[in-house]
Amino acid sequence: MSQIEIIDITKIYSIDSLNINAVDNVSLRVEKGEFLSIVGHSGSGKTTLISIIGGIIRPSSGKILFDGTDIFSFNDEKLSGYRSEKIGFMFQFSSLLPILTAKENVLLPCLFSPAKRSDNEKKAIEYLNMVGLSDKINAYSSHLSGGQQRRVAIARALMNDPEVILADEPTGDLDEKTEADIMKFFKIMNEERDITFIMVTHNTELARQTKRQLKMSNGSIKEL
Amino acid sequence: MMKKFTLFSLALKNLKRKPLRTSILVIAIGLLVSAFVFALSFVRRVDSSIKITSERLGADLLIVPTGSRGAAEDVLLENEVKSFYMDKGIVERVKKIKGVDELTYQTYLVTITGACCDVPESIVIAFNQDTDFIIKPWLNKKLGRRLQKGEAIVGSESAFNIRIGLTEVDSVLFGNMFKMVGVLDKTGTGLDNAIFIDDENIADIVRGGKANIKSGQISLIFAKIKKGHDPYKVAGEIEDSIIEVDAVARKDIGKNIINTLRDINRIFSITVILASILSVFLVWAVFSAIANERAKEIGIMRAIGAKEYHVVRLFFLEVLVIGSIGSIIGIISGTVLSLLMAKSFTILKNLAADLNTVERVFIATLSFLIGTVVCVAGALSPIQRIKKLEPLLAIKEE
Repeated sequence: MSQIEIIDITKIYSIDSLNINAVDNVSLRVEKGEFLSIVGHSGSGKTTLISIIGGIIRPSSGKILFDGTDIFSFNDEKLSGYRSEKIGFMFQFSSLLPILTAKENVLLPCLFSPAKRSDNEKKAIEYLNMVGLSDKINAYSSHLSGGQQRRVAIARALMNDPEVILADEPTGDLDEKTEADIMKFFKIMNEERDITFIMVTHNTELARQTKRQLKMSNGSIKEL
Repeated sequence: MMKKFTLFSLALKNLKRKPLRTSILVIAIGLLVSAFVFALSFVRRVDSSIKITSERLGADLLIVPTGSRGAAEDVLLENEVKSFYMDKGIVERVKKIKGVDELTYQTYLVTITGACCDVPESIVIAFNQDTDFIIKPWLNKKLGRRLQKGEAIVGSESAFNIRIGLTEVDSVLFGNMFKMVGVLDKTGTGLDNAIFIDDENIADIVRGGKANIKSGQISLIFAKIKKGHDPYKVAGEIEDSIIEVDAVARKDIGKNIINTLRDINRIFSITVILASILSVFLVWAVFSAIANERAKEIGIMRAIGAKEYHVVRLFFLEVLVIGSIGSIIGIISGTVLSLLMAKSFTILKNLAADLNTVERVFIATLSFLIGTVVCVAGALSPIQRIKKLEPLLAIKEE
């Protein structure tokens, strides 16, 4: 049994009586510990697909099986639990809450997790140290650069020890060094912790660094 | 020690991000609650004053000269200084009415400073100690004996005016010297402003000619009804048999004031309801704006595991903080306002009884609930809308 099975997923957006097939009948299997990338142009459906995998939008049809269970058969409680415990999500935009410090942003998923751990603060600081932000623990996002904000988002995605990281353009708009640092960190997490990585990018150079590459075009997907 | 990061601390941070907007909401709720506390304090004070008076009088019926019911209520409920008289022979006629049990009567005399008396204007009540059941319980408690001729005892409020302290003083009442032998405990009725003398003194006062009263006159009769008789029926029979009197059942004492109060109550209620509706709309408008502003943040929180319940709880915590602070401010300002304004309302100025602690706590609790419920009601629809959005759609809604 694959960790993630994507079965005939279709997502249609209706905009002004116009139906747009963002994802068109996509099927895919992802094994535990894989590091795969999905490349494609803007509007090819990459973001919609990983949003469906992450359970943050429902497909028009099809199923996502996680460890054999259809996640969209869950009610809100269970689906939120899936997002909280199994998935770490990294958005393509700045997703930090501006009223919170870096540490509080990293701690945010813990507020929604049923597992109440006493060492969360320590763990948040450890993750911030790991992503090289030990001196920015109490800094607000407005005082962080784009790259630093992405790194806080990585630390936040790891906070609940997810089995899968879904990263949507994690290095977009970042300089080469920061991009390289982030990819290095992803690889370490993938290899040492056996976390599955599904990374969406339009950067083919970046995609080549992953073990498996797929390409999306007009809502359809194919292996490269 | 590090401050723990919780949903509550996130709610507080959210409120702090736009302090002016939060303050406006708090002030709006504060004003609503303040108006509610003021209105309720006003109505409850009048209502409870009437209830206390009718209960403490201990009589089932109040019998007054025809047309003097209002004047009698003014004396008993509002501490006004008024006199009215009827023939003492009416006492015997009332006794004969079926259902009447015990009877006692009182005579009200009005003092005029300088002309007859050396005390400030107040009412002097002459009562019959043999038949009395109105004053006697208070008198026994304080003096422990009968009042002698030439002795007077004063109500708790009068004591201040006459400056009776721990020592006994003499005062001239209607040309006669009276020894003030003590101060009664507070009764919470209009009797607190009176000076009490024995009925035996009336003959001397009439003879002195300094009071506007003739021999053989009394002001009112208090009657107890025999068990099993309906006070209203007995009152009707008294009025039918004795044309010179009006008979008022205990429950009807203060009815005129209560009727007036009902209208005031209605005005207050409409004002509070309108203010509540306005506040609900204000909270709704503000929280709709907040929900739109934070749609992306809510979407992100949902994407990283927040349940609908967490979103609702976060918003409700904010709403409850606003509602609670606004309500507390409103309760304090409304209470202060009701105390300050009490002297500006004729109806309140003369009322003997004030609100007790239990009533004040009741009003505060009710007002707190109104403030928070209005806040919650206003925020409900925007919260429901935002919690139902799929995370990605919420993120894109910005």
